[in-house]
Amino acid sequence: MNSSHLNPSSSLKSRFTTRFLRALTRINARKPISPSSPREIFQRYRRIKVAADKSMASSVRSRRTWSRATLWKLRSRSCLQLASLGRRRSVKTSTITSRQAIMKKTSHEIENKTTTEEDHQDRFVGQADKLRELVPGGEAMDLCNLLDETAHYIKCLTTQVQLMRKIVDFYSL
Amino acid sequence: MNTASPKMLQCSDMTVLERQNACLKWQQEQLQQQQQQEQQSYFSELSGVFSSQVQGFQGGLVSGDSVLGDMVMTRQVKPDPGLETAWHEMEKVDMAAMGFGPCGYSNGPDFDMNYAISRTSSCPTFVAAAVAAQAVEVKGKESIVSEKMGSTVGRGSFKKRKVDTLQNSKVVAEDDSKRIKACAEEGESKITGPNTNKSSSSNNKNKKETSTGTSKENSKVSDVQKPDYIHVRARRGQATDSHSLAERVRREKISERMKYLQDLVPGCNKITGKAGMLDEIINYVQSLQRQVEFLSMKLAAVNPRPDFNIDNLFAKDVFPSCATNFPAVGMSSEMANNPPYVQFNPVEQVVSSCGLEMGINSLDMALRRTISAPVSIPYASFLDSSCFTQIQPSATWDVELQNLYNVAFDQEGSMPFPSQPFTGTLLEKQNWGPELI
Repeated sequence: MNSSHLNPSSSLKSRFTTRFLRALTRINARKPISPSSPREIFQRYRRIKVAADKSMASSVRSRRTWSRATLWKLRSRSCLQLASLGRRRSVKTSTITSRQAIMKKTSHEIENKTTTEEDHQDRFVGQADKLRELVPGGEAMDLCNLLDETAHYIKCLTTQVQLMRKIVDFYSL
Repeated sequence: MNTASPKMLQCSDMTVLERQNACLKWQQEQLQQQQQQEQQSYFSELSGVFSSQVQGFQGGLVSGDSVLGDMVMTRQVKPDPGLETAWHEMEKVDMAAMGFGPCGYSNGPDFDMNYAISRTSSCPTFVAAAVAAQAVEVKGKESIVSEKMGSTVGRGSFKKRKVDTLQNSKVVAEDDSKRIKACAEEGESKITGPNTNKSSSSNNKNKKETSTGTSKENSKVSDVQKPDYIHVRARRGQATDSHSLAERVRREKISERMKYLQDLVPGCNKITGKAGMLDEIINYVQSLQRQVEFLSMKLAAVNPRPDFNIDNLFAKDVFPSCATNFPAVGMSSEMANNPPYVQFNPVEQVVSSCGLEMGINSLDMALRRTISAPVSIPYASFLDSSCFTQIQPSATWDVELQNLYNVAFDQEGSMPFPSQPFTGTLLEKQNWGPELI
């Protein structure tokens, strides 16, 4: 199983770094009206966060469900922002309901388990749902794959945090 | 060769053996007649049933084994409900007969029939391959399970079992020798042999005290074709219907992944149980996501200097890890010795006196100051995040953060993190701070 998990290799790191820095320069290139106002900072923060997530997901390409889900989410969100809300909202809600349907189905499947430890299992299932919310794209996955995705996601998140820290330090010097 | 009929047996389980032998022979006929592909799942089920029985048998049933040696279970088994019921029946009987003590068998090693149980799991084997390697030999077209009764050991060493070489006449499909080997290796966990070469893994399966020396093993060679589903053999003393088998496979997969996650998430070694582990995992993922948000906020607040050169950043950052991580390694060992919070005091004092924007800039200055001390860059970054855990009591910091969040609320409907839980989780982060480098 370990072989199936991609270790955040240096190629992943370099890919993420290049993309993220590129996006960062783009964001910083915008001339803000009042550079130090909280509002402005917050706007930039949002953009940077989006850029970070996007660059991470693009570095992983579409190999993982969570990266696909993240990219899809970001793209649909940008589409929503660009187009009028009314037009696109139907698309978004339909996908959401289909996702919920899938999620219901998977959680129902999980309920069909041996009844040895009911309470423990119930708590377990509740936590599994919580994990599903955290990991992007986790709603439509059974527990086994969810744990897989979580492991890879954790690895990529730690890489992301490391690299961003280094960038921050570089900025701050 | 002690291919005596079951009449030789004087034990009470003769009926069982007789029945088993009859079934085996009938099955043998069936197999020899048919040339079609087996149905893997059914076959695995059968083998599961059979192996569970086989292990139940006392080793002393040598003569029974001899008859069983003729037993042929090939992949050409036709899913026959009659056979299935017979197997199930035998299984039941076997369960009942498990309690019987060793029978007085003193058969010599005349049997050249071998057992090689293959755990028909397509997962990679985790059983010692030594015995299986020699045990599995593909010598013919027919895939046959043969048993070898090695009763040389005698009754004393009933626990140790071994797989001997396959019977030449009855051979596994030669096409997939590798796969057969793998199966045999996998099956070694179920393999029981009279000799003591076998690892003790089979002993674990042997719940009951098997006092007889001989063992029965089925070497079931799997199909030539690569099956696209997973074979699982029922362990001894466990239910063998397909639902529980599948359930067990699923559970094993999940526990495997949980173990892997346990290695990934720091500080999870003491926690046992899936619920606690999941809690930790959820917390860790949340904290990582919050760190990303925090760092991006920091990036947003830090204004790039005009002389900022992105190429320098590339040069330093893309080939970074070696250069900057060496000091980190050294520092982390140092940190382990010194309580890291001692060094946070100056930072804390600096920060507590500033507002948010000012705070960040001064934090940067403080970082630089600490950097001039024997603190490496990654350590500084660690310091950056971890020190906030110490700043909790600082009211100004919280106020500034609150301001930022209020702005956020004004701007957008939803805020990624409210302030209180944010600081709370920063406290949680303490445990992971040192390990994130």
